[in-house]
Amino acid sequence: MTLLAEYLAAGISTGCAFALVATGFVVVHRVTGVVNFAQGTYAVVGGMVAYSLLAHGLPHVAAEALAVVVSGLVGLLVGLVAIGRRGTPVLASLIITVGLAILAYALEIVIWGDLPLSYDGLPGVVTIASISVQRQYLLVTAAAILAFAGLVTFFNWTYLGKALTACFSNPYAARLIGIDVTRMGLIAFGLGGALGGLAGVLITPLRSITFDADVGIAINGFAAAIFGGLVRPGAALAGGLVLGITEALVAGYYRASYQSGIALAVMLTLMVWQARRRAGEEA
Amino acid sequence: MLEVSNLVVRYGAATALDGVSLAVARGEMVAIIGPNGAGKSTLLNTVSGLLRPAAGRVRMEGRLGHVPEGRQLFAELTVDDNLRLGAWQVRVRDPGPVYELFPQLLPLRRRLAGTLSGGEQQMVAVGRALMSRPDLLAADELSLGLAPRVVETIARHLGQHCRETGMGLLLVEQNARLALDLCPRAYVLEAGRIVMSGSSEELSRSPDIRAAFLGGAIEESV
Amino acid sequence: MKLRLSATQIAGLAVAALTLALPPFLNDAQLSIYIFIGLAAMVVVGLSLLMGFAGQVSLGQASFYAIGAYAAAILARDGLPTFAGLAAAPLAAAAVAAAIGIPLLRLRGHYLAFAMLAFQLIVLTVVGEANSITGGDIGLYGIPPLNLFGFELDTNLQYSYLTWIASAAVLLLASNLVRSRPGRALRALATSEAAAAACGVPVGAYKLQVFALSAGFAGLAGGIYGFFLGFIAPASFPILLSIQFLVMAAVGGLGTIWGSLAGAAAITLLVQVLQYAGTRPGMPTHAPAVFSYGVYALVLVLVMLFLPQGLLPALRRAGEGWLAGRKVPVKQGRSAL
Repeated sequence: MTLLAEYLAAGISTGCAFALVATGFVVVHRVTGVVNFAQGTYAVVGGMVAYSLLAHGLPHVAAEALAVVVSGLVGLLVGLVAIGRRGTPVLASLIITVGLAILAYALEIVIWGDLPLSYDGLPGVVTIASISVQRQYLLVTAAAILAFAGLVTFFNWTYLGKALTACFSNPYAARLIGIDVTRMGLIAFGLGGALGGLAGVLITPLRSITFDADVGIAINGFAAAIFGGLVRPGAALAGGLVLGITEALVAGYYRASYQSGIALAVMLTLMVWQARRRAGEEA
Repeated sequence: MLEVSNLVVRYGAATALDGVSLAVARGEMVAIIGPNGAGKSTLLNTVSGLLRPAAGRVRMEGRLGHVPEGRQLFAELTVDDNLRLGAWQVRVRDPGPVYELFPQLLPLRRRLAGTLSGGEQQMVAVGRALMSRPDLLAADELSLGLAPRVVETIARHLGQHCRETGMGLLLVEQNARLALDLCPRAYVLEAGRIVMSGSSEELSRSPDIRAAFLGGAIEESV
Repeated sequence: MKLRLSATQIAGLAVAALTLALPPFLNDAQLSIYIFIGLAAMVVVGLSLLMGFAGQVSLGQASFYAIGAYAAAILARDGLPTFAGLAAAPLAAAAVAAAIGIPLLRLRGHYLAFAMLAFQLIVLTVVGEANSITGGDIGLYGIPPLNLFGFELDTNLQYSYLTWIASAAVLLLASNLVRSRPGRALRALATSEAAAAACGVPVGAYKLQVFALSAGFAGLAGGIYGFFLGFIAPASFPILLSIQFLVMAAVGGLGTIWGSLAGAAAITLLVQVLQYAGTRPGMPTHAPAVFSYGVYALVLVLVMLFLPQGLLPALRRAGEGWLAGRKVPVKQGRSAL
C-alpha cells in the first residue's frame, strides 16, 4: 500500500511537471496556432541556468525565479524568429522552432558541456497520512496547480487573456479591432517559455538533465497537451497527470524501460476512444 | 473625412482595384454597390489598413469601424466579450449603448457568439465595430445570408443611429435596393473601377442600374 | 506519334540520367552519402504525399523505415532468401500502417502528428525489449548481403545502383499517382475534406491508402538500409530522424515529388559537410556536435524564413523568370513534379 502511494506521489509530481510544459504548448498554440517544438528546450534552459546561478552562490528562490525569467526571454526570442516575420506559414514556424531547439543544443554544449547536471531541491520528507513524500514533490505539484489556476483565470477572466484567445479564434477580426496579433503571439511565446522554464527548474532536482533532455520532455508535454486538443489547459493538466502516474506505476511495478512506451500507448488509446466518441456524437 | 485617391490594389498578378477614387464627408451615409467580385471587400480592407495598395492613397480623419463580410465573430467567446473586445483601442469598454441599439442582444449576452443565428451575429458584428466609437462605420455585405426582414431591422436601427449621432456610414452592398434606400449617395463599383456615382435617387432611376441591380422592373416612385 | 515533353519532365530526365551516371565516379564514402540521399528521398516522397496531398502530418515516419529494416533483417538472418526479406520490408510496413491507420486516421491534424510520434516510441521500446527476435537495444548484427537473382551485392557501387532503381521507381509511382484520378481526389482532400466527401470521394479509404503507401515507401528504404549496413539497432531510428525527414520534406517543398529529392539531398549533404568540418584537426572536442547542430539549425531557420514554400518552388520561380527573360507572374495551379 505504501509502495503504491509512493509511486503515486512520484507520478503526480512528474505529471504536474509535464502539465506545466503542456500548458506552455497550449498557450502558444491557442494564440498563434503554432506547435512550439522548443517547449522542451525551455525546461532544459531553465534547469541549467538555475544550476549556474546556484553554483555562483545565488540563494535558492532567487536563482530559480531568475531562471524562469530567462526562460521566458528565450521563449520571446523563439517567438520573434518563428512568427515575427509577417507571412510565415504555420508549418514553417513549426520547423523554425525545431531549428531553434537544435540551435539551443549547440549553445548549451558550449556553455554547459554535455554531461548531466542537477542540484538539490527542497530537502526533507513530509509525512502525510503515514506516507512519506519528498518535499520536492509537493513543491512541484503546488507550483503546477498555482500556475494552472493562474492561467485559467488569465484566459477566461481577464481582458488581455480574452484578446489572446481572440487572436487564434479569428486573427482577421482581431486585426480589424486593432489587436496587434504578432505582439500577442510574442506574449504567448514568452509565457510558454516561462512555463517551460518553471517545469525545468522544478524537475532538475528530481532527475538530472542533459542538453538533449528536451526531446523527452517535449514529447511528454505534447502528449499531455494533445489531450485537450492543444487549446484546453484543463485537459492538459489531466493528461499530464495520467501520463506521469502511468509512467511511475509501470516503472515501479514492471520495468522502467517500458514506462514511456506504455504510458504513451495509454494516451493513444484514450485519444482514439475520445475521437470515436466525438465522431459518434457528431454522426 | 474619408478620401480615397486613385487606389490600385493587386493580389499577385491580378488587379482587384484599378484607380478607385471616392470621398465620404463627415456624417454622410454613402453606399457602394456592385456585383460579386467587383472588389468591394478589397476596397474596405484597404481603407481599414489591412491591405497595402500598390498605388494611390487613403486618407482618413478620425476612427474607422469595420464590420467585416461574413460577421467574423470570435465564436468561442461570449457576445459580451465580443463587444468588449471591440473597444480594444478605446478606454470605455461598457457595451451598454450597443444593447440599447440592439435590445435583442441583451438576453444573449452570455451566449457563445458561435451559437447565435445569422441575424443576431450580424448585430454583434455591427455592435463590436461600434464599440470603438468610430467616426465612420464601414459595413461589408450586411445583407449576406440574412432574411430580408432581419436585414431591414438592422439597417433601420443603423440608419437611425447614424442620424442621431452624426456617425458616417459607408455601406458596401450587393443588395442595391437596400443600399440606395438607406443612403442618399452612392458609387457603383464594377471590376475594380467606379463606373457611376451620384445621388441614390438618380441612380435608382438610371436604366442601366435598374437592369443590372434592381431587377429591371419599372418602379413607380412615390 | 510525336513525344512532347514539358520543361519539368525534361529536367527530371536530366536529373535521372545524371544521377545514374554518377556512381562510378564516386569513392566509397561518397557512395554511402549517395545511397543515404536516395533512401531518404524514398521516405520523404511518401511523407510529402501524406502531408502535401492528403493533408496529414506524420511525425513518426521513421517508424516505418525501422519496421521495414527489421522485417527484412529478421527474415534474412533466419535463413530465408534475402530477396524475400527485401520484398517483405515494404509489405510489412504497409500492413502495419494499414492496421494502425484504421483507428488513428480518425484523429485530425495535431492529434495524428502526435499519435505517429507516440507510435514510433512504442515501436522502439518494443524492439528494444524483444531481445531474442530483434537483438534488443544492442541491435541486429550479421545481416547477410543482399542476393538478387543469384547476383550478390557487396559493394557500395552495387547498392548505389539498387538505390537508384528503387528511388526512381518510387518517384515514378508517386508522380503517376498524383496525376491520376485518385491523385486529384487526394489533392481535393488536402484542401477540404468536407468538400471532397461531398463530391463522393471515399475520404477514409483514400487517406488509409496513402498512409499505407507512404509507409511502404519508407519500409522499402529501410530494407535496403539494413542490407547495406549489415547492422541495425533501435538507436538507428531515433525521433530526430523522423523530424529530419519532416525537415527534408518542408525544405524541398511540400506537395512536390521532386522536392523530396531536393530536400533529401540538400539536408544530407549539409549534415555531411558539417560533420566533416567539425572533425578537422585543430577543432575543439565539442566542435563536431556544436557545428552540426548550430549551422544546421541556422540554415534550417533561414530557409524556412525566406523560402517557406521550400527550395524547389523557389528554384522553379527563379528558373521560369530566367527562361522568360523577365519577371513572369507565377501561374496558379499546381504541377505534380
